[in-house]
Order: sequence, then structure tokens, then C-alpha cells
Amino acid sequence: MPFEMNFGWTTPIGEVVLGATKADGGTRRISYRIGGGTTLPFLESSPSSPAPLIAFEICDNPDFWSPIVKDYCGDVVNNANEWAKKADADYGADLVRLHLTSTKQRNFSDIASLGSVVEGVLSATSLPVIIEGSNEPKIDSEVYQKCGEAGQGERLLLGTAEAGKYRSIAAAALAYNHSIIAQSPIDINLAKQLNILLKEIGVQRDHIVIDPYTGALGYGFEYSYSAMERIRFSALKGDTDLAMPMICSSADTLTIKEVREAGDGLQDETAIQWELFTCLAAATAGAEILCVRHPGTIVPLRKALAGMKQPAQSAGVP
Amino acid sequence: MALKALDIYKLLPKKNCKECGDPTCLTFAMKLAGGKADLDLCPYLSDEAKSVLGATTRPPIRLVKIGVGTKNFKVGEETVLYRHEKTFYHPPGLVFRVTDTMPAEEIVAITRRVRDEVLTRVGADLRFNGIAIENVSGSAETFARAVETVEKVEAHLPPVLISKDTAALKAALVHCGTYRPLLHAATQDNVQEMCALARQHGCPLVVRSGSLDDLVNLVKTCTADGVTDLVLDLAPENFGEFIRRSTAVRQLAITRAVPDLGYPVYLNAAETGQEDAAVALGIVKYGSVIVTDPLPSGSAKAALTLRQNIYTDPQKPIQMNPGIYRVGSPDKDSPVLMTVNFSLTFFTLQGYLESARVPCFMLIVDTEGLSVLTAVAAGKLSEMLVRDSIKTFGLENEVSHRKLIIPGYASPLSGRIEDATGWKVLVGPRDAAEIGEYLHQEWKK
Ligand code: B12
Ligand code: SF4
Repeated sequence: MPFEMNFGWTTPIGEVVLGATKADGGTRRISYRIGGGTTLPFLESSPSSPAPLIAFEICDNPDFWSPIVKDYCGDVVNNANEWAKKADADYGADLVRLHLTSTKQRNFSDIASLGSVVEGVLSATSLPVIIEGSNEPKIDSEVYQKCGEAGQGERLLLGTAEAGKYRSIAAAALAYNHSIIAQSPIDINLAKQLNILLKEIGVQRDHIVIDPYTGALGYGFEYSYSAMERIRFSALKGDTDLAMPMICSSADTLTIKEVREAGDGLQDETAIQWELFTCLAAATAGAEILCVRHPGTIVPLRKALAGMKQPAQSAGVP
Repeated sequence: MALKALDIYKLLPKKNCKECGDPTCLTFAMKLAGGKADLDLCPYLSDEAKSVLGATTRPPIRLVKIGVGTKNFKVGEETVLYRHEKTFYHPPGLVFRVTDTMPAEEIVAITRRVRDEVLTRVGADLRFNGIAIENVSGSAETFARAVETVEKVEAHLPPVLISKDTAALKAALVHCGTYRPLLHAATQDNVQEMCALARQHGCPLVVRSGSLDDLVNLVKTCTADGVTDLVLDLAPENFGEFIRRSTAVRQLAITRAVPDLGYPVYLNAAETGQEDAAVALGIVKYGSVIVTDPLPSGSAKAALTLRQNIYTDPQKPIQMNPGIYRVGSPDKDSPVLMTVNFSLTFFTLQGYLESARVPCFMLIVDTEGLSVLTAVAAGKLSEMLVRDSIKTFGLENEVSHRKLIIPGYASPLSGRIEDATGWKVLVGPRDAAEIGEYLHQEWKK
């Protein structure tokens, strides 16, 4: 093509490795190297970087989970190990993201049990795993310590660090060589600041995945979309404090009116489509890990991403 | 590259005759500089002015109007690659496709669906925009009949006529030739005849090729032939090629590097084998006319919502005027619910209040368009704001009680609002979906 798009990018997106295989001292059957992009998403005409990964989200206490997903998945939601196995073998996810929702129970104190939950999921699936710890400052440090320890050697992705709470998660990541998710509320400057804070306490750039926060489609998604575009753009222009891969979770989408009240027989279809639309748009804006909660989203999403990653073909036009 | 308004002004006739629709040559120059006006509107330009200004002042992407009447839609005239740089102005037309081999009833049903289906979100009615009729039968007569079937519904939807065969298009144009249908498509093989048809009926025309070089040549041929309302079909073989070509066209057009690519982009999602995904990608990646088979309910709503999201102005959230709003016919004893002036919040709450069937007042305070949680986090929602709003809007005259229901997410402010206003504050639920139940249980007490 004689028409070259010239953006003047200077800096590639940094790379982060998720999961450790036997060769790297872990037990995962595969590990992923994400990032490395040198231009806007999907613009390389012979793509070298992999397609965005699809993470399936599960939890250890489904009380806090969308009823649509619970109805669809059935009993398996009560057993995180079985659910993880299914996410891997049946649903076809690339990653399993375990939310320790049990920590949301009032006065939760059984920290010791979390270690075995994490170990259980790690033995139920040999995919790389993302662990979401607690949301309760009082127990944070113990929870992350436990998770980090239970996943030692597996190169987990630990979530979620925020400006007000990043020390305990960073400590666990540093101690056991895991990576972390750094979340900020839809603001490029806040994203950058948090990454700098993490850098200052010793978390390397290749251990950080940015979560710019994904508002639900129709409820703030447009802000997230632009925040992601701006982060990617600034990174490529040379801002190394933003040059990390991004993660997007469409989880909020299942809680909105249009999906909850889709009507009889339409709930699954609606949930899948809203997750699909959110994830595809997020991928074009730069997200490299796409998290879904409805199993039915994975197949169409993977198919579309494969198409987006296809190289130029010989100019055979129908 | 882009000229400043004053440079442009120097080249204008300075007659201030208003014939361009602007009061003075200077204001016309300012519009030209912003890519907001067409040079042809001034009849008195010197040849020199025309040649200097021609390439640099027309909008980098031409505005193309499809259809006539109240349902026409306009696409193009975009100026940026990223919505955060300014905004995206003209949302893509989403067009449902029928084929001429479908039974007439099915064609009628789909046409009616496009006419009638509406998703109301944030105070806006979101609709599909047109109907594409594709000639797959190979027969001009059958094609013309299908177009006639669509037109007989009298839905007045902008049509897209898809056929390689100019004879078929000619036959179809008998039924809709005066409605500015979009013709698809001119290729190297038929460009002359297509231009003749487009000129004769004043139609916009799609040019199609998988190579940008070919597209430029086609565009040159068409414009030389007097057909300037053009739309580009990039004939992508896969989603990757769509994203790459569409981005290239946008980038090369807005920088005016290749002015002949300065036209809106067409995407036939029905051709891609995965329509829902194609529609999503078309919306975010610069598609302007997106043809698809009728989408099932889930993806139809997702598509309309994504389009609404991507095409809102990133600089200012859609806002309501602060003030007092009524739901039903409230009286002096009716409840008052306070919320913010972010449209999405307002309409979400209003919807649930209407279905709760409790007449009430909504007190909308000015948080500069921020949602409840965002306004609380940003400190934009304060007790002073609530106090002043009650005073300014005269809430005291509307109700005889002094009770104010605030959003659950604003509960940290409840004490301070009570102190500042003297009103008793009731903390409502966090989720507006629970407001009906809450009012039925709590208000009657
Ligand atoms: C989109 C968004 C933004 C947009 C703004 C959009 C807007 N116009 O408000 C932008 C990107 C600008 C933004 C900015 C910020 N944001 Co923000 N944002 C969001 C997001 C994703 C969605 C908000 C939204 O649109 N919600 C939908 C509307 C309809 O919700 P709502 O107004 O709350 O209304 C609901 C209820 O409150 C209830 N309700 C409403 N009115 C009433 C009235 C009554 C009487 C009752 C009973 C109920 C009720 O009904 C509605 C539906 O259930 C949320 C995350 C989330 N999931 O909510 C974060 C979020 C609100 N933001 C957050 C933050 C921190 C910020 C910033 C402060 C960050 C910063 N420092 O820059 C800024 C502040 C703004 C500023 N300084 O300019 C945090 C708040 C944290 C907290 N719990 O306090 C959130 C929760 C994200 C997070 N998890 O970190 N944000
Ligand atoms: S039509 Fe031409 S001469 Fe007349 S006011 Fe407009 S720019 Fe000036």
C-alpha cells in the first residue's frame, strides 16, 4: 500500500508474562507474554503480538454474583474448583480470574481457608490465573500474603491495587514474584500516578497491568473507552509510566437495567451481546485481557478477535 | 495545510452580499477555516481563490446525506481520529438488509420493524436508520419488485440499493429514485454507468474496492463525472483489514494527505460472517453506513447503546437543567427525591419512579453533569448546593412537609444536609430499581 499511516510512535507497550510453566518453575501448561504492541491495536498488517486474552471470572462465594450467570452455569458455581475446570475445559477461556468474594461476608476472618481455595483452583486448572483479593483494608495484607504464598512460582496476576490500597498487594507480589493489576477511576493521570507509586516501592514495569476501570455499556463506557485510547496513545508516544498492557472487565454490564430486565428468554442472549460489544470495543481501544462472566460470550468473542488479528490477504476482492 | 480564517478572508470577494448564507465574508471565512462550510456556497470566487482554497477548506470528510424527509441521515464531516480530541459528530446509519428473494411478507415485516423499533435511553430515541435491498436473485424485475414492496410500506426510510447490475438498479430506481437512495456499488467495471445513474437521480454512490489506490482512482473518475456524494466500501476480507483500512482512510482524510479518501466509510456486516461483532467494530472504527441483517434483540440494543456512547461529546456529559421536576401529579404531601443533573441518572431514576406510580417531585441539583457517586467522590455534591437549590427552585412552596429523600450513595452527606437545610433527610436505596418498594414501605409511615 503506498499510503502509509504515520503516527510517529516511539515506544512499544511493555510486556508482562502471565503464568509460569514447568520450565519457569511453575505448573501451568502455558504462559502468556502480553503487550509488545508498537502501534494502535490491530493496525500491524502482519501482527506479531497475540490476540487479546479472554479471562473467565469465577468466585468462591456466589452470593455476590449475577443471577443470570448463576442460572446459566448451574450448581458448579458453588464449587470454585469445578467451576475453574469448566472454564478451562468447557468454556474455553485463556485465563481464570478468581474473585475471593467470600471475604465480602461480614466479619470474615477465615484467612487460612483462602490459601486452600487458591491452591484448589490452581490444581483444578493449568491455565494461568488471576486472583482478586479482598476489598477490606483490615484484612488486605493477610489476604494478599496468603494468596501470594499459595500461588508461589505460578506467576499470578494479583488484583486489585488502587491509589488508596496498593502496599499490601505490592508486598505480596514482590515477595512471590507475581504481577499486579493497577486500577484507577477512568483517568489517565491517576493511572500514571499509581504506576509511579508502584514503581517507587519496587514493582517493576513488567509486573503491572493497567485497569483503567470499565464502566458498563450505556453507563460510562464511553469514558473508559477514551481513557484506554489515551493511555495507549501516550504510551506509544513515549510515556513509559503508561506503557503497560491493559485489562478490561465487563462485569458491571451484567448489573445494569437493560440486561437485568431483558425479559424472559432474552437474558442470556442480552448478557452475552452486551459483554461482547463491551469487550470488542475495549479491545480496539487497547485492552489486552478481556474479562467476561457469561460463558456464552467466549466463543463469539474469540472468533471476532481472531478475525481482527488476521493479516492482510492478497488483494483478492470479491 | 489548514489556512487561518484571515488568510482565507483575504481571498474572498469581500462583497458581504450574504448569498453564501453568512452575514459577512469574514464569518464565511471563519466557517471555512473550521471545515464547516462548503466553498461552492460563494458564487463570486475568483479562479485563483478557488484553486487555493479548494483543497484546504472543504471539510476533510465530505458530509453525505442519505434519504430525504425527516428520516434522512447524514454521515461524514468528521475531524478527528480519537473521540477525546474533540468529538465524533455524525453517528453511523445502521441499516437492516433484506434480499429480493425473501417472501414479500418478510420484507414488509423487516421494513416495519425498522420503522417502529425504538430504544429510549437518556431521553433520546435510538433507532435503526434505513433499509438495504440486495439483488441476489439476479433478476432486475424481482429486484424492482422487492424495492416496490419496501416503498409500499410507506415507512419513508432511507434506502440502500445493492446490485452489481446497473439495469437492475435502473428498474429499482423507478420506485425510489426521488428519495436519494444510496447506490451500491461502483467498481472499475461499471463506474461510468453508475455515475450516470447517480447523476440522473441525484443519489449518493458507494465506490467499492479492496485497494485504496483503486478507491482513489474511482473517486477521481466519479468526481470528474460530477458525482461528489460518495461513500467508500473498503471491501475488507476480514476484521483486521476493516480496522486497518478504515483507520487509514480516516487518518489520511483528516490530515488531508489524500483528499480523495475524504468520504464516509461503508461496511456490510452481513458479508462478514459475524454480524454482531462487525457492527460493534463498524461503530467504533469509523464506519458511517453499516448494513446488517436484522439484529436479534440483544445485539440490537447493544449496538444502539454503543453508538450512543461513542458519539456523545466527551467534553460535556449530557445534562438536565437543574430544577424541580414532577412525576405524575404530585401534591403538597408528595415525596421529594433529590438527585444530580447527569441525564443518565435523571432518566434512570425517573423511569423507576414512573413505574412505581407514586406521584412525587424530583429536585435536580447542579453537579455539572456528574453522576451521584462521581459527584460525591469529586466533592461536587455538597450540603450548600442542596440548600441553595431548595431555595432557588422554591421547593418550600411546593410541599408542606420538610422531608428530603437522598440517593443511597449520598448517605455520607445526610447529616450535613439536615444541618444546612433544616429538612429531615431520608436516605433512599442505592439502586434506583428499589425506589418503588422503598416509597411504598417508607413514605406512607
Ligand atoms: C462514568 C464515570 C465517571 C465519568 C463521569 C461521568 C459522569 N457524568 O458522572 C468520569 C470519567 C468523568 C469520572 C470521573 C471521576 N470519577 Co468516576 N465513575 C464513572 C462510573 C464508571 C459510572 C458512573 C455512572 O455513570 N453511573 C450511572 C449513574 C446512573 O449512576 P448514579 O448517578 O449513581 O445513579 C444511580 C444511583 O445512585 C441511584 N440514584 C440516583 N439518584 C437517586 C436519587 C434517589 C433519591 C435514590 C434513592 C437513588 C438514586 O439510581 C441510579 C441507578 O441505580 C463509576 C463506576 C460505577 N460503576 O458507578 C465511576 C466512579 C463513580 N468514579 C469514581 C471516582 C473516584 C471518580 C473521580 C473522583 C476520579 C478522579 N479523582 O478524577 C472523578 C471525579 C470527577 C471529577 N473530578 O471531575 C469512583 C467513586 C468511588 C467512590 N465510591 O466514591 C467510581 C465508583 C469508580 C471506582 N470504582 O473507582 N467518573
Ligand atoms: S457569498 Fe461570497 S461575497 Fe457574498 S458574503 Fe458570502 S463570501 Fe462574501
